[in-house]
Amino acid sequence: MSRYSLDRRTVLKGLLGGAAITVALPPLEAMLNANGTALADGGVLPRRFCLWFWGNGMIPERWTPAAAGSGDAWELSEELLPLAPVKHRLALVTGTEVRLGNRIPHWTGTGGILSGRDPFGEEGDWTFSGPTIDQILAQEIGGATRFRSLEIGTRPGGGVSFNGPNSRNPFEGSPIAFFQRIFGEGFVAPGEDPIIDPRIGLRRSVLDAVMEQTAELESRVGTVDKARLDQHLSGIRDLELRLARMEEDPPNLEACVRPEEPGTDAQLPNVLERGRVMGELAAMALACDQTRVLSYCHTGPVDNYVYPGIGDGHHRLTHDEPEPQEGVHQVVLQIMGELSAFISTLEAIPEGDGSMLDNMLLLGTSGVSLARTHALDEYPLILAGGACGFMEQDVHYRSTTRENASKVMLTAMRAMGLNPPQFGDGETAATESLGAIER
Amino acid sequence: MNVFAVVTATVLVGCRAPMPDVNPEPPTLRRLTNVQYANTVRDLFGDDIVIPGELDPDERFNGLLAVGAGRTAFSPRGVENVETSSYLLAEQAMEPERRDALVPCTPYAAEDPDCAEQFVVSFGRRAWRRPLSADEVSRYAGLGTSAASTLGDFYDGLEFAIAGLLQAPDFLYRVELGAASSGDIPRQYTDWEMASRLSFLLWNTTPDDELLDAAAAGELSEESGLVAQTERLLASPRATEGLTAWFDDWMHFADLDDLYKEPLVFPHMSDTLGESARQESQRLFKLVAFDREDDMRELLTSRRTFVDRELAALYEIPAPVRDGFAAYEHPEESQRRGLLGHASFLALNAHPVSTSATLRGKFVREVFLCAELPGPPAGVDTSIPPVTEAARTLRDRVQQHLADPSCASCHRNMDLVGLGFENFDGIGRFRTLEEGVPIDSSGELDDVVFDNAAGLAEALREHEDLGPCITKTLTRYANGYREDLGQLEALNWLADDFADQGYQLQPLLIELTSSPLFRASAEVDTSPLEEL
Repeated sequence: MSRYSLDRRTVLKGLLGGAAITVALPPLEAMLNANGTALADGGVLPRRFCLWFWGNGMIPERWTPAAAGSGDAWELSEELLPLAPVKHRLALVTGTEVRLGNRIPHWTGTGGILSGRDPFGEEGDWTFSGPTIDQILAQEIGGATRFRSLEIGTRPGGGVSFNGPNSRNPFEGSPIAFFQRIFGEGFVAPGEDPIIDPRIGLRRSVLDAVMEQTAELESRVGTVDKARLDQHLSGIRDLELRLARMEEDPPNLEACVRPEEPGTDAQLPNVLERGRVMGELAAMALACDQTRVLSYCHTGPVDNYVYPGIGDGHHRLTHDEPEPQEGVHQVVLQIMGELSAFISTLEAIPEGDGSMLDNMLLLGTSGVSLARTHALDEYPLILAGGACGFMEQDVHYRSTTRENASKVMLTAMRAMGLNPPQFGDGETAATESLGAIER
Repeated sequence: MNVFAVVTATVLVGCRAPMPDVNPEPPTLRRLTNVQYANTVRDLFGDDIVIPGELDPDERFNGLLAVGAGRTAFSPRGVENVETSSYLLAEQAMEPERRDALVPCTPYAAEDPDCAEQFVVSFGRRAWRRPLSADEVSRYAGLGTSAASTLGDFYDGLEFAIAGLLQAPDFLYRVELGAASSGDIPRQYTDWEMASRLSFLLWNTTPDDELLDAAAAGELSEESGLVAQTERLLASPRATEGLTAWFDDWMHFADLDDLYKEPLVFPHMSDTLGESARQESQRLFKLVAFDREDDMRELLTSRRTFVDRELAALYEIPAPVRDGFAAYEHPEESQRRGLLGHASFLALNAHPVSTSATLRGKFVREVFLCAELPGPPAGVDTSIPPVTEAARTLRDRVQQHLADPSCASCHRNMDLVGLGFENFDGIGRFRTLEEGVPIDSSGELDDVVFDNAAGLAEALREHEDLGPCITKTLTRYANGYREDLGQLEALNWLADDFADQGYQLQPLLIELTSSPLFRASAEVDTSPLEEL
């Protein structure tokens, strides 16, 4: 029995800096799933979520498929062609918009789609107003695994996963460091005995003392610092949970094997190659049930990476390349190629009678649609995976009424077994999910 | 309201009106930056300690990582890194060759609670920058003793006490909350807090024993003791390194770690160029601020600099004879003047394949003049027209761009300054032609006309906002927040004083640290957070 007990109110309060957000309690099934040994008895398979983010959007005219519908009724557009190997897995949503006054280029869209709220603060002094979708989900479904969530990326910038104001979850950018964190000390493969080490108990006693110390300090500081320390405490609780998991039987998942150690960063200087290696490690982390929530930041919202064969930085091109922006288009093709490869990696992992992708949802999105004008209509949204039978696949849903993009976030939460009354706040609030892509 | 009555600083100035009253901002916890953490750990355990990787990346707010340190919280991964790091350090600390310097007693058995307490008292004061309470001593000594009992070894047990002390928020954050004094003296930072404030500002690391002893003796809440310690710290070579951290933060040099230039366009690009460029600028800062104790505006106009072979190749000047850096003086006719002629500024504020008048102009306005520029509007097309026969140079294309009044209102401010650097390409190499057309790098900075980058540097040196901006940036760095109305008048006073003292950094630091801008504290703000 884990010593871990979640004071939900404290965590949410800490996460949100005292602001209220409406997140429903997880359904009973998820609670049962939180028992890490259920799987060894052939219990319910874990359900996972992956956010896949890229910067600088796409070109709506070249992105949107000509026809909507499912199966053979729709075909990929020229900009989506790299996704052909996984088309049967996709739910593509076009024509929706992020309903926010567009204030901070690239970040209003990022904050709007991922947290349902406008980032607050002025230029150079702003932050997210609430947690991003991956962290909202991690609070609900992340407690069952060693890591509440994992964040990866390969470019500078820190990523787009936020717990709340001024609280980013920086991603791991080095494959070897990521490998050591997940599959190094503390990892127990299926069939292996749990780790028995008196030091684990001692480390927990130390964490108890640190929590006591933190609580004492909280009584002396201001409100904002208290929220920061609450965030720190929630990190310590995660750590306690991780130590407890080391002493339990590992989840018994057939596809889980300890992967081979990747090359060093010096051996993997190319960020795209590094991203693929990270993606493979992350897929195995999901397969081994080390986490159920992954955030994969291909590039940040304003990234200026010079893609191979494209002669200028991505962000620069989106603003300064003359129409029809062939260079930007070529970059989007490369990005979709990376996304396609990652979805294939997930699909290749067997689970139950099918693939791990049957039991998860991937949500791909960006911080704008057309970057040249930082447009927030025609928002890019690509979903993939079955989410345990919840999601339609091989479907293109075209909104002809400029629906609220937050509906897709609500769909994602429902796909994870939650039933929140809404996603977003004010203008961005959606109270209905997108039924057309749900089964 | 919290008004700090001023005792005029008598150190350097004779007859001046005293600094106006200060209403400080409420205190906030500042987490140690990654560099401060590493420096502190070295001071606690020895220079040869192996320091694990960074905890959480530092984040920049209001232009400074030092302000971000007062805003961000540790992420769950950061907390995990803290734990891992703490045990790796504790293990090294208790190696036989190191532990005798740290443990002030010899344990008589695996379990020796008295010795464990003695250790926590002495190490705890150094680690937490204040004495521990009796409860705290027994909390951490207790961890050590019970671990010793489990593991059967005193020092193995003590590792857990150390790991606890290093994971506590009292170590990871600078807890400077101030205290009310008796009588009419307004609230100010305590002696222990002043030790931290001074040490992290001047040395960018934890206070040494002498500074902690001064705090224990109550000397740092008195002006004379405070000035004496400030002067002691400034006289040490550690101040040169410590304040280079301010310079680095001010110049956004952390971004040089990720410097990228397309090698097909810029053959001089290499993995080491960013670090070389950073060192060139840091060396100029050390020369001006410390070796020569010169006018800080020399940073902008000095023809003296320091180059290694890589930079010499980029600048097309004679390379140093040996590896490493050597001093060099650009000739009078060169456009390279001060920091703005360095690859650090020129390459960082440009695109991967080209220059950017906007990025360079924005940096000059924001970083040297503390201008508050509005962010770019989100909903408009901001593209600069492509190269055409009629408009081949960036200047011509920007002029077309500025013909649009909605762009011009903001972009003139940045672009017309940034065009002054057009004789330097996107990595900082000198050039006279762009697209085969001679480059015109003349312009004006707030009504002062210049011919090229050298003239721009002179104009910037004489700009009335430069001195106040250096004062402000230093104060923001020292306090961990951007000033508000309650400190403005005092900051203006400090800027005037800085000018009166010939724009020298060290007198400015003594004036700042002994003033209420640095010493006065407000009550912590316990009002509820606003609904976001």
